Amino acid sequence: MSRNLQAAIAGAIVGIALLLPAFLHTDYTLQIIFRIFLFAALGLAWNWVGGYSGQLSLGHAAYFGAGAYGLALFARAGLPPWPAVGCAVILSMIFAALIGKVSFRLRGPYFALCTIAFAEVLRLTAKNLPNVTGGDVGMQVPALFKYSTTQSFYYASVLLTALAVALTYWIERARFGYSLMAIREDEDTALSVGINTPRTKLYALLLSAALTAIGGALYASMFLYIVPDQVLAMEVSTEVAIVAMLGGAGTLLGPLVGAITLESAAEIFKAWFQEAHLLIYGILIIVVVLFLPEGIVGTISRKLAVFKAAPIPPFTEKPRPGAKAETTRAAVLK
Amino acid sequence: MNFIYGNLQVALDGLMTGALYALIGMGMALIFGVMRIVNFAHGAFLMLGMYATLVFYQPDVFAVQLISVLGRFGLPTPEFLTRMAQVHQFLNPYIAFLIGGALMFVLGYVIYLGLIRPIKGQEAFMVILVTMGLSLALVDAAQLVFGADYHQINMPLKDLNIHLGPHLLLNAPWLVSFGIALLLGFALYWFVMHTMFGRAARAVAQNRYSAPLMGINVNRVQAVSFGIGAAAAAIAGGLLLPMLYVFPFVGNEYRLKSFVMVVLGGMGSIQGAALAGLVLGLVENFTSRYWGNQWALVVDFVIFILVLSFKPSGIFGSQRA
Repeated sequence: MSRNLQAAIAGAIVGIALLLPAFLHTDYTLQIIFRIFLFAALGLAWNWVGGYSGQLSLGHAAYFGAGAYGLALFARAGLPPWPAVGCAVILSMIFAALIGKVSFRLRGPYFALCTIAFAEVLRLTAKNLPNVTGGDVGMQVPALFKYSTTQSFYYASVLLTALAVALTYWIERARFGYSLMAIREDEDTALSVGINTPRTKLYALLLSAALTAIGGALYASMFLYIVPDQVLAMEVSTEVAIVAMLGGAGTLLGPLVGAITLESAAEIFKAWFQEAHLLIYGILIIVVVLFLPEGIVGTISRKLAVFKAAPIPPFTEKPRPGAKAETTRAAVLK
Repeated sequence: MNFIYGNLQVALDGLMTGALYALIGMGMALIFGVMRIVNFAHGAFLMLGMYATLVFYQPDVFAVQLISVLGRFGLPTPEFLTRMAQVHQFLNPYIAFLIGGALMFVLGYVIYLGLIRPIKGQEAFMVILVTMGLSLALVDAAQLVFGADYHQINMPLKDLNIHLGPHLLLNAPWLVSFGIALLLGFALYWFVMHTMFGRAARAVAQNRYSAPLMGINVNRVQAVSFGIGAAAAAIAGGLLLPMLYVFPFVGNEYRLKSFVMVVLGGMGSIQGAALAGLVLGLVENFTSRYWGNQWALVVDFVIFILVLSFKPSGIFGSQRA
């Protein structure tokens, strides 16, 4: 699927979503679709880091939680709700700068594990400081909308998704986006052609963290109450990553499709299998990785591309005579 | 004087926890060294080891639960389950853990062939996702079969304390588990360093592309290593059973902790991971004493981040297994 087609489909989905509340009258259904669009936005934000630049983060709960707790904490300090959201976004970006500084030097599994470790440190710290965050008991969050109905939050989540889609559309065409994709393909080569890879990756993460923090604030304000094990949990990080991977990492439409598929599947599992829904969910993750490693959109795109033109044969590197085996340190950092 | 004895006691307790951590870490290091993959189901394997030991020690707990699960789905109760429900005690946990380990070895072997091998060439992240999904599925399956209740076993050894002088005190089950863990740790080290299989495993760890040229069946070595690594986690779980409560989520905190040991020990070096396990046990116990139990895991992860940012090749054992 061409990028413009994907963008058109994404736009159509957002457009339909804006009309939906006119036909839906139960809060429950609206809440589920709120969750779909919230995670679509988070997945799109993750995609900038994980999809386009290939830095597979598993610590986005840190930014989500920073948004949620930031809103609650700044509001308690006396700020009105919306400025508090702004401060929470800045807080989340500060975290992102710190986390990026350390973890972007690592590659492969070390990067993913380092991001998990940061998110876990934040979660445990939030649990262990009852004076500040209320600990396990949790914290109250102010309402963001005057008429705090499910509908307002629903519209907010759809608008957030629209914003994420627009930003992705821009990134796919901007020099910034091409730099990110170059880093994904080969970081060393990207460096050698003059891309400032640390800075580019950091900008992507900052943008991603900011949007994730807004999502976290929305989520927190929707339920008016947060606990560390909910908004800072590793499950949030995993879910965000899986939404993007299921739909297709590095595509515009992917996270949107992934969120629709995964969240509705999760709801259906909860209804059908009850206690066994996590079992089925775990198996679903395994099946996706084993059989759909490129994600739904990625696989469809490849299938469609067959009809268009003969694929360009892949560039194969000839083995250099006397090439040295990778050194220990390089292997470690890979 | 009290200060010294207090700290000495904490150090002793730390070493005992550390020996069990070492076993968990060695299993993870073997898997990571030979396959370069992060096994996120390590904690779930540990949990399964605990439950397996529990089942063999007190079959009735398991049988009663399973009968009620079957009943809920309207299935008939098989004969052997009703007979199992009569048996209150079957095997001593210090024997049963070996059966748990053996079962986990087989399961690990199968998991490798079914889930890990098909995605071998892909991003490391994919393996993290698969093992994460596996972990979710196993934990939920355990919850379905055993229920979400906390189980604790009772055995006469539990209340036995050994006094070392007037101030120091060792809990007997910890001491026994410590001894067995130490023994098994050395056995695993010997196995990797001095047997033909261990040599093959180290060759694969060093270079998985030239190992097959030396006539090593890489797939088999990796499958067996995965099985041994999983078994090590399950055995550590079985050894922890006399001291800890067992519940479906018990392994979750070991998911990342086992990798902390691998990183601290230096990327797949099993002796490094063993040392790191001991250090981690000490650090956690001292953290618990001076800052409180709830900060122990935070300190673990902070150490992890610091090591990754300043010395990613690890602190102990520069040599790679």
